[in-house]
Amino acid sequence: MPLSKIALIRTTAAAFIVGLAALLAIVATTVWLVGETQTYTELSIQVRQQRAALVDLRSLMQDAETGQRGYMLTGDEDYLAPYDEATGRIATRVVDIRRMLAGDPDRGRPFDQLAELVAAKVAEMQQTVALYRAGRRDEALAMVRTGRGRELMDEARDLFDQLIDATEQRIYTHVSDQQKTITALFWTTLLGALVIVVVVAGAAWAIVAYTRQLVTAQREVEVLNAGLEERVAERTAELGRANEEIQRFAYIVTHDLRAPLVNIMGFTSELETSLATIRDYMETVEGGDDVATADAKVAAVEDAPEAIGFIRSSTRKMDGLINAILKLSREGRRTLKPEPIDLRQLLETAVANVQHQVAEAGGEVTIEGVAPPMVSDRLALEQIFGNLLDNAVKYRHPVRPLEITLRTRQEPAQRVVVEVSDNGRGIAPQDHERVFDLFRRSGAQDQPGEGIGLAHVRAMVRNLGGEITLVSALDEGTTMRIVLPRNLRKLIGAENREPKRQAGPDRDDRGR
Amino acid sequence: MNRNARPVQIVMIEDDEGHARLIEKNIRRAGVSNEILPFANGTEALAFLLGPDGSGEVSSGRQLLILLDLNLPDMTGIDILEKLKLNQHTKRSPVVVLTTTDDAREIQRCYDLGANVYITKPVNYENFANAIRQLGLFFAVMQVPEAD
Repeated sequence: MPLSKIALIRTTAAAFIVGLAALLAIVATTVWLVGETQTYTELSIQVRQQRAALVDLRSLMQDAETGQRGYMLTGDEDYLAPYDEATGRIATRVVDIRRMLAGDPDRGRPFDQLAELVAAKVAEMQQTVALYRAGRRDEALAMVRTGRGRELMDEARDLFDQLIDATEQRIYTHVSDQQKTITALFWTTLLGALVIVVVVAGAAWAIVAYTRQLVTAQREVEVLNAGLEERVAERTAELGRANEEIQRFAYIVTHDLRAPLVNIMGFTSELETSLATIRDYMETVEGGDDVATADAKVAAVEDAPEAIGFIRSSTRKMDGLINAILKLSREGRRTLKPEPIDLRQLLETAVANVQHQVAEAGGEVTIEGVAPPMVSDRLALEQIFGNLLDNAVKYRHPVRPLEITLRTRQEPAQRVVVEVSDNGRGIAPQDHERVFDLFRRSGAQDQPGEGIGLAHVRAMVRNLGGEITLVSALDEGTTMRIVLPRNLRKLIGAENREPKRQAGPDRDDRGR
Repeated sequence: MNRNARPVQIVMIEDDEGHARLIEKNIRRAGVSNEILPFANGTEALAFLLGPDGSGEVSSGRQLLILLDLNLPDMTGIDILEKLKLNQHTKRSPVVVLTTTDDAREIQRCYDLGANVYITKPVNYENFANAIRQLGLFFAVMQVPEAD
């Protein structure tokens, strides 16, 4: 059963509350029941005391009667010792019992009756003993013979039995009540414990189920992750292959274009040589008015050389373009050699290389900022900054003196930023992207160049794992911003896991 | 070039006819008049150099100088170079690799296999012509051994 996080929290919270409630119920019931038990116990003790007192009083009465009878039979004073003792204690006992039964009218009233009987019996016994002692023995015996004493005693005994039975009944009730309480306590505890066990089991089940789900989910995520990494690696490899393909394409195209171009140029040369011979000959021919001769002369002296001139200039231009592409494709194929680089020093050297032109233009170059140590390809960096500085000098503002500022700084994610700013003629907004394209130039075409410099720079920067962007306003100046990774080795290391084949013309697959 | 009893033959393996013609013209301009045997593919060239049986015995007694382009339609010049330099009869014949490729590893590989000279064809025709003419001048003074 799928279990969401919220469901788990709800389930465990509910289980916790139910468990807590059950525990509280157990504790409350226990406390209440213990209180009850205590009350019952106290009551039982009281009733037992009452019973003991009643039994004691009864035996005192019997002792007293036995003593009276013994004395009256034998006349021996010794028999009067228990009688005296018993009658002495009877009065205090009666007071005790009355105190015990105070506030209990149900038993208090029968006891009052009993107390009267006891008092009457004691009085009857005292009377007979007193008569006997005074020597009026017959009177005393006659008094006994009336049977009144015995009747009193029987009545008292009956009442005693009733009262003792009643107390016993009460004790029994209390004991059974207590037993019931204990049973209730037992069941309450058992039920509560059962509830807690069920709740804990439920919560445990929920947690186990949820944990199991988490583990499954985690495993799925791991599998997906592995798949993702694989896919990323695959895509990277694909991209690498595509890039390689493009570079191979550029390389092969330029190479194969060069071969026929050499022929065109070569045979143009041959043609020129031949033409020179013809021209020399034609100049010696004094053709007179012959139209055909005149035409041939014009063709040999003017048309053919002109045509050859155009062929030459076009092939030269084509040669330049092909060479530019070749240069770019070579840059892409060049194996980078990462080495520790003192960026500041490298920039200073690059500046020194253009110092002559800068001084000629009456300008100055400043280098600012911290140059963090980095690992990169020295040659590529030299070419990049050499190119950018050349451009800054080349496309300076015609009026104001040239100012170039090189700014370096470190950026998060292990990157270094170098900005090359000038106060030159600037680049129109629509050309900001175009200037990085091969053979494209911006602004007045008043400087020599083929439009490959920035394309080359961008190719190199990207090759180093960086990016170049520009900020420029026409007539105000240009800032070229280059972001480079601080450590090229890490980048190459990452690429090398997917062995990178050089894009050069491998011997077996030139497909010609 | 030594003009002994058996003249030195220049075997030119070059698939581009235009290039072949331009090479020939410029070599001639350097004053080299030896026979130039052009081959437009590797198969034919190998058949001539090593014979139909591939043993190379046919070249025995020949004085050969081989101009080799690496990019051929049916095989690479490197295969030809390897076969020639491993063959008992042709191993001493000088091989001049003349190709458009300037890949450093390619150059290394050719010298490793026993190429005697490696020349990258200049892109610019003037330079190309110049290079070939200089090569022709070089041919004029170099000694070519007779194949065993």
